[in-house]
Amino acid sequence: VGDKGNLLEGVEPSTEHIVAQGQLCIKGLNAFHFVNHPERLTRPMIRTNGKLSDTSWDQAIELAVGKLQEIQKKHGPDALAFFSSAKTTNEENYLMMKLARAVFKTNNIDHCARLCHSSTVVGLASTLGSGAMTNSISCIDQTDCIFVTGSNTTEQHPLIGSRIIKAKQAGAKLIVADNRTIRLARIADMHIRWQNGTDVAFLNGIMNVIISEGLEDTPQEIINAARMFAKAKKAMIIYSMGITQHTHGVDNVKSCANLAMLTGNVGMSGTGVNPLRGQNNVQGACDMGALPNVYTGYQKVEDEQVRKKFEKAWGVQELPAKAGFASTTAIDMAAEGKLKAIYVMGENPMVSHADQTHVRKALEKLELLIVQDIFPTDTSQLADIILPATSYAEKDGTFTSTERRVQRVRRAIEPIGQSRPDWRILCDIASRGGYHGMQYTNPSEIMDEIASVTAIYGGISFERIDQTGLQWPCSDEEHPGTPVLHSGRFARGFGLFSPAQYRPSAELPDSEYPFLLSTGRCYFHFHTGTMTRRTRLLDREEPCPYVEMHPDDSKGLGIRNRQWIYVRTRRGEIKTRARVTNSIKKGILFMPFHFKEAPANRLTHNVLDPVAKIPEYKVCAAQVRIAE
Amino acid sequence: MKALSDDELRTFFKAIESEYDVRLPVCLHDGTRTIGKLDDGNLSLCGGTVPGKITSVFFPQLECMLRVNSDGIQMQQPVSKPLLVAGLTAADADCLEFVDRFFGTTYRDNIYFNKRDNAAIFCISGWCDSNGRFMKITGGNCDVELIFNKSRYVVKTYSEIGRALAKKMPSGISVSQTEFNKLHDVSQSLPRDDEELIQKASKLITAGKVPQEFWQEISDRCIACTACNLACPTCTCFDVFDQVASGHHIQRWRLWDSCQLEGFAREASGHNPMGQEDTRTHRRIHHKLAADVVRWGHVTCFGCGRCDQVCPTGIGIKAVCREIIKRFNDTD
Repeated sequence: VGDKGNLLEGVEPSTEHIVAQGQLCIKGLNAFHFVNHPERLTRPMIRTNGKLSDTSWDQAIELAVGKLQEIQKKHGPDALAFFSSAKTTNEENYLMMKLARAVFKTNNIDHCARLCHSSTVVGLASTLGSGAMTNSISCIDQTDCIFVTGSNTTEQHPLIGSRIIKAKQAGAKLIVADNRTIRLARIADMHIRWQNGTDVAFLNGIMNVIISEGLEDTPQEIINAARMFAKAKKAMIIYSMGITQHTHGVDNVKSCANLAMLTGNVGMSGTGVNPLRGQNNVQGACDMGALPNVYTGYQKVEDEQVRKKFEKAWGVQELPAKAGFASTTAIDMAAEGKLKAIYVMGENPMVSHADQTHVRKALEKLELLIVQDIFPTDTSQLADIILPATSYAEKDGTFTSTERRVQRVRRAIEPIGQSRPDWRILCDIASRGGYHGMQYTNPSEIMDEIASVTAIYGGISFERIDQTGLQWPCSDEEHPGTPVLHSGRFARGFGLFSPAQYRPSAELPDSEYPFLLSTGRCYFHFHTGTMTRRTRLLDREEPCPYVEMHPDDSKGLGIRNRQWIYVRTRRGEIKTRARVTNSIKKGILFMPFHFKEAPANRLTHNVLDPVAKIPEYKVCAAQVRIAE
Repeated sequence: MKALSDDELRTFFKAIESEYDVRLPVCLHDGTRTIGKLDDGNLSLCGGTVPGKITSVFFPQLECMLRVNSDGIQMQQPVSKPLLVAGLTAADADCLEFVDRFFGTTYRDNIYFNKRDNAAIFCISGWCDSNGRFMKITGGNCDVELIFNKSRYVVKTYSEIGRALAKKMPSGISVSQTEFNKLHDVSQSLPRDDEELIQKASKLITAGKVPQEFWQEISDRCIACTACNLACPTCTCFDVFDQVASGHHIQRWRLWDSCQLEGFAREASGHNPMGQEDTRTHRRIHHKLAADVVRWGHVTCFGCGRCDQVCPTGIGIKAVCREIIKRFNDTD
């Protein structure tokens, strides 16, 4: 922190943190820089006569509450939806959830886990009993074989990717199943590149070999991978969005769980099914019940006993009994005119949700859009009310990491301008709405309340996690936390082996749209770019939108590297730059979704996994042409 | 010669804050040691090399160089008090001496010297490494050296500023020349493994014994986190950019940069002379171990070990040197 106490001047990694161990990735080493960016939202704003203008906190809160209540009265509580945020703290996610349910009486509460790991939450909960990483990051150091699929780990989880590199150097086997020649593929014992979207067939193939060795029509590389995985004393599966973002995302996840169960790789260190969560607190946002069907700790809203417990704890009556809409479904409902208001905290659906034209139509149709954020976004441009929030550096709270570790974040500087921490804003909204059960002097009190209603967080308090954090389940004040899930028995009792049948992706290439378009992330940017594109070095590294294509494909179309081209799908068209690279397979295009000037999500297909309601970001059909 | 306790030194540092902007090793809430102010945490002189880039006191990660508004250009204000920086190891003092030359030769970097001029430098040595091992006595390159004799810090001065400061310290207890000589002998007898390792690798690189395939192999294991550059006390590269700030003025900033990034040497056309990963990995090592030998007459890695500590994949400069020697030393 700089001399005047309000400027972040740099960052140093914690040498004592159990995971960081004195190291950070490129984003971490630069994450201080956007905090003081001049474009920070510093005053509340309201839209009058179509234009946004500054207002006071008092007026903004009064207007927000007044309109929410008016719509609730006119159209019923389920005409409202609340989008919570995986960037905010556990305490803030808990309060957003409480606000939706206790104050406005709707279960229409969700957040961006819908778009990344909702298939994991559903798929692993139904097979193993808990929708989280079964093991700890440190297990990578103890395994004999690592199977990485659908995760560009060194780019998206660099410190975890680094541990995989070190484990490989130390003698562990590494199997990478990924369409692109990612960095891990370069050092892997085996790199398998199957067709995008055929994950279930591939994983079933591996299991088939393991069960009935000797099938003659199985490709040799599948046989080799199956043997390598099955022979390892301890083997672990690591996966990410290459597995989850499909219309068969839940089936993919279940297949991963099946493979681990079939080979006995659950419940011990150095094994397990390990989904890598993408945001600082996406695990916590799920744990806090910022989901339409569960309260904190995955307690079901449809369970009357659970509802009674929360009614008592919160001092309210008649909590809604029916599960709410997923955020993806909420957008569809808004487009149909059935949903009237959305309160968005720290999310940018205009850039993150599939099929941007559809999202715009839906948001424009709303009677009320409230956006609470730290920067102006494509979503806030459509807002009726903007509430300026603080960044991580200006507030206290907790985040839960991908390995279920609940840990502290601490205030380093005062809030910028008139911005306020999200938890304060949410409390103000609740109080103005006439509810007096959301008054706290600090986030520590909120965590105490969370612990009192949540078994897996029962033993968590600010005092206990002051230094290193604790991994849930942590049931009481004496409980040491749980580094490895399912040891001895599965969380659900018995593991449920649920075979999945291969179903093709919803939209495959054809003569009109001959390419398969897959979307994802690049190394330097984070999601919709609201923070990283305002971070000097990160934006300098990737300042332009791009699409990766194979040299054989570009040659055929006369496209040169870095040339501007149009990419078109049945949803829309964007202008972007060609990045010609051998790391991608012929016939496939890959595009990161960070760039609002060429949003990949104008192209993606808003077709959902039937159970998890996650869109198929990884497969749709596209065509390209030269832009000049 | 006098020897002071931790408490006596803390009292001295606290008192001298009226004259100096004091920065020294402190232990933060989570246990991480860093260079900070006395109020930031517990004084932590012992514990070995402080993990962060030690030269950041004079050359921070992000810094406003100048402001422009309707009244014209405002340069950085002169510092109100000179800095007093404590906690440098012998290697750190060598790094600082080099960075002083780097920023002072040919073009004098006024922003750096705004903080560096008149600053007092305190080195730390003796039985103070993290594992209780002896750390080399600097023997110069600083104003004051605090040599830990397992119970107290023997105060040795090397400059007028140092002697003036020593006079303001409590009297502590007196230490004989014989005891100092004993410490000096321990320092002299320390193995010089790191220095030899770096020199040997430097010679192999200079002699063209390290093929490009080796750099490709190392770069395959590099995730381009840039931590090596950001922790290195002799890395001085920075990026310059302008920002329109609120209140209708423009700020010009500088920010640590990294040669491990593709954008570092990218030309406006998009062409990049350092566009390949192996080229960048090669440069990281070659610059300090070969190019600087030609430019400055010596290697510019002083073996502080920070890059080896922060590298998530184990390819810090000493690790790479060891691999070079293992693989290419006996080939002729």
